[in-house]
Amino acid sequence: MTPIDTSIYAAITDAIQTEAGRILSEGQVTAVVGYAAARRKGSAQPIVISNPDDAQKLIFTAACVNNLAVYLTKAKKEIPKTGKIGIVVKGCDLKALSGLMGESQLKREDLYLIGVPCAGVLGSTVQPATELTTGTIAAKCTECDAHLPTGCDFVPNQTPITPELEQKYAVEIARLEALTPAERWAYWQEQFSKCIKCYACRQVCPFCFCEQCLCDRNKPQMVETTPRPAGNTAWHIVRAMHLAGRCAGCAECERVCPMDIPLNLLNRKMAKELKELYDHEASFEVLDKGPLTMFTDKDDQSFIK
Amino acid sequence: MHPEKQTHAFEPKIIAFVCTWCTYAGADLAGTSRMQYPSNVRVLKFPCTGRIDPVFILKAFQQGADGVLVSGCHPGDCHYIAGNFHARRRFAVFRKLLEFIGVDLNRLQFSWVSAAEGGKWVEVVTDLTERVRAMGPMTEFKELAMEEQWSGAINTPELQEAYNSI
Ligand code: SF4
Ligand code: SF4
Repeated sequence: MTPIDTSIYAAITDAIQTEAGRILSEGQVTAVVGYAAARRKGSAQPIVISNPDDAQKLIFTAACVNNLAVYLTKAKKEIPKTGKIGIVVKGCDLKALSGLMGESQLKREDLYLIGVPCAGVLGSTVQPATELTTGTIAAKCTECDAHLPTGCDFVPNQTPITPELEQKYAVEIARLEALTPAERWAYWQEQFSKCIKCYACRQVCPFCFCEQCLCDRNKPQMVETTPRPAGNTAWHIVRAMHLAGRCAGCAECERVCPMDIPLNLLNRKMAKELKELYDHEASFEVLDKGPLTMFTDKDDQSFIK
Repeated sequence: MHPEKQTHAFEPKIIAFVCTWCTYAGADLAGTSRMQYPSNVRVLKFPCTGRIDPVFILKAFQQGADGVLVSGCHPGDCHYIAGNFHARRRFAVFRKLLEFIGVDLNRLQFSWVSAAEGGKWVEVVTDLTERVRAMGPMTEFKELAMEEQWSGAINTPELQEAYNSI
């Protein structure tokens, strides 16, 4: 395990504090969503500040794992949605924000984006005070192509050093694809059977902003709500399907799952298929339509008789 | 005269989700033209293939379908202009997901059958029925629906005793 250089995070913290203090005191934004130190040593938690004096609470470290974009969706009522809001975003979080803008959930002019040059954050099972290494880094960061956010209002002038890492999801997807259908079914049943239907994955996902989820409806009930095998399998299939072409790959769903179900593996598989079929990838670009809300008359139909 | 009806050990249940404008009319044409096709197929009519949610397919499998057919208008013929184009992308992706989860895609058929293609309807339905018949019953989703989920295995004598005394 080789350490990953996170020395720029101290300078980024300073820059974020100065910038957040400035935009708040100048009245450019009404609030800033960012990260602050939490109680456990080395850990970080989301914070919303509206007072310029609180800007010195903001930090950026390898423990800043959360995707803060979720706080700006209509599913989260805690944040006042009046005036312009500042938000601290890593590359993966910015992809989620771009997606939300594309789905008309947010307007660019209502946001002040503070982008973070990010070398990676810690994996979900690692203690927050741990050093960032090739072994403790989050799986999503091994496949990241968005270390340096662009199109933001402010980005600290730092360049992250990002070594080439083994792409954790790609390797696992290739392993599963090589199995027989029966073996894959057994693998996923083992994973899905762990699900307790806490819906933490849905709660944390920036794209799960529907006011009524199909999976909560009971007239008619399309997906069984109790944590039993049929409902669990259906939930995971429906979740992956509803996020196909929208998921930003922030891996928050996988991070918060108390049962360690590899949710992002399904998301990555769908992303891979969408890339192959329709050349679509989550990016910083704000698209009017996602790959499953548009079509061309040349789309593949070799599977249709 | 009807040909002698062959009997089989296994009669698969096939659920067909069809659009009302093309495939349903095509199936109707097959019927009014007195064409024979397997009675294994249960037809469910929708306004458009674009209205057919992938979750319907899951539900069909859970409730005992051995094969599923989704059929609608040919590209360009959609009554709602673009419904089948949207469906084409959605199902292309959904197939990949099911495959990754471990479902055998031979149980799932997509087709375009127009209102004039009674013969093609017969062919599609017959092919799918015979293919699924050869594969045997689809058990995966059905078993899930039957199974109870326990928070843990009953793997000690004490637990077994407690369980027996319920
Ligand atoms: S967070 Fe995990 S256990 Fe909870 S509903 Fe999602 S997959 Fe299931
Ligand atoms: S599905 Fe998971 S990885 Fe994708 S955007 Fe939602 S929380 Fe992030």
